[in-house]
Amino acid sequence: MSEAVSQFTRVPADDLAWLGTDPVPAKPYYDPAYFEVERKAVFLKSWIHVGHVCELSDAGSFIRRDLEFACASLLIVRGRDQQIRAFHNVCTHRGTQLVEAAAGRQTRFSCPYHMWTFGMDGALVSAPDFEAFHVDKKDCSLKQVALQECGGLLFVNFDPEARPLREWLGAYAERLALMPVARATSFSEYTYDIGANWKLTYDNFQENYHLRFIHPRSGGAGIGGDNPFGYPVTVGFDGPHRTQRIWSNPSPDLKTFQRAATMRGIPALKQQGLLELPYGRDYLAFFPNLFLIGTPTQPFSHTVYPIAADRSRGVVRVYWVGDDMTASQRFAREYSLAQIRDIHCEDIAMIERGQAGLSSGALSHIHFQSMEALCRHLFNEVDQRVRAYARETGAVL
Amino acid sequence: MSAAVALPDGFAVLEPFVERWNVPSTAERAALRKASSAEEREAFFAAASPLLDAALDHLDAYPLNALPPAEQRLMNLMLSLAHVALAVEIQGPDETMSAPWRDRMRIVRSAADQAAA
Repeated sequence: MSEAVSQFTRVPADDLAWLGTDPVPAKPYYDPAYFEVERKAVFLKSWIHVGHVCELSDAGSFIRRDLEFACASLLIVRGRDQQIRAFHNVCTHRGTQLVEAAAGRQTRFSCPYHMWTFGMDGALVSAPDFEAFHVDKKDCSLKQVALQECGGLLFVNFDPEARPLREWLGAYAERLALMPVARATSFSEYTYDIGANWKLTYDNFQENYHLRFIHPRSGGAGIGGDNPFGYPVTVGFDGPHRTQRIWSNPSPDLKTFQRAATMRGIPALKQQGLLELPYGRDYLAFFPNLFLIGTPTQPFSHTVYPIAADRSRGVVRVYWVGDDMTASQRFAREYSLAQIRDIHCEDIAMIERGQAGLSSGALSHIHFQSMEALCRHLFNEVDQRVRAYARETGAVL
Repeated sequence: MSAAVALPDGFAVLEPFVERWNVPSTAERAALRKASSAEEREAFFAAASPLLDAALDHLDAYPLNALPPAEQRLMNLMLSLAHVALAVEIQGPDETMSAPWRDRMRIVRSAADQAAA
């Protein structure tokens, strides 16, 4: 026997039976009425990933984030006191959006309409002819939205009664804090618009069943031997969140240049202690729409923002610790980014085909096998919230 | 016009590729991958891929953000090679089919660009 033996053992279906085994209704993946309740019951009540602390390195730096599910534009700002806060990008005078720039650094936000001017802590600093109004300045601060940080990632929550982020993230928060993302000082990013439901889009990245068919070339290293589907070694669940540990292929089918390109980045990763981090094979999925992978050569987050029942936007960020120090490191990062983009582009074609099929209404139900357990778990967690909300409010599904 | 030497000593074999593949940003390199022909990509990959280690070893001796012009061109060629290698070595015959989908993934930020900015 010449090949290395991985002795892969598939997670037994019985271990996952508690999630249910019935077919799953198809409507939640295309129905606008379901989406509308989902928007309110899930997205306006969960901590949503919106950025990374490295985007706001100095006092006065800000980023603008438009979140379609909330019909909101947010300004996320590092104040003079170094606190990072999120505000609605809305002048409290008559509602004009304050800022058009996607990011910047300044000491004030001035509304172009009537020059109401706000400090980076959201307070109204000045407004022309303010004496003619019938309101106090202290009651005219920018409207704040809850923002908290974990592992370098910034999350917002539109629910004023939201419990603290750490509590919400649960047991996996500790793993997140030990991933490269928590030490990142910069990142590379690509985004995509997709004609597909956010769950359908996200689910593609929660199962490996498709790898050998959709990524036979680009994903060849992650499948093979006694694990032809590249299934995970373990899966786990914690509240609405879930995890899987990616299988290590003992004899990955790496091409000559691919191997050489990856190796050029290894010395820097080693020097930075990023190869020894404990969760380098872990995938963490934080409800509802974020997942991260800790792979040292390619640590990335992928967030799928819902826009409509059949439309979403994906944001992929590959995180880097420290600026490029050498030509080798710069090259390895460029290759790493281009490589993962290749894999993701193969996915979106298939996801949109899935949406076209589902939106036809031809199917009343879809099917998840045991190794699509993470997809089923997401559906269960969403559906439970949607049904509870519909019961409380009388919303019709 | 004196024939300015575009690349450092030892990399003359890559001179014919400078005009086409010396591009300054990640998004432009990704776009060039698609805009180029399979023959162009294969020729560049055949000439440049054996020199990857030599080129990066040479460049690693310089401060990255103060590369002399010839070294900067060589750096840009290697960064283009990262994209071209995926097309030639990994995607092979599937490259043309996957190209339109790749365009949908808009690169909005990259480590290399921030340093260059």
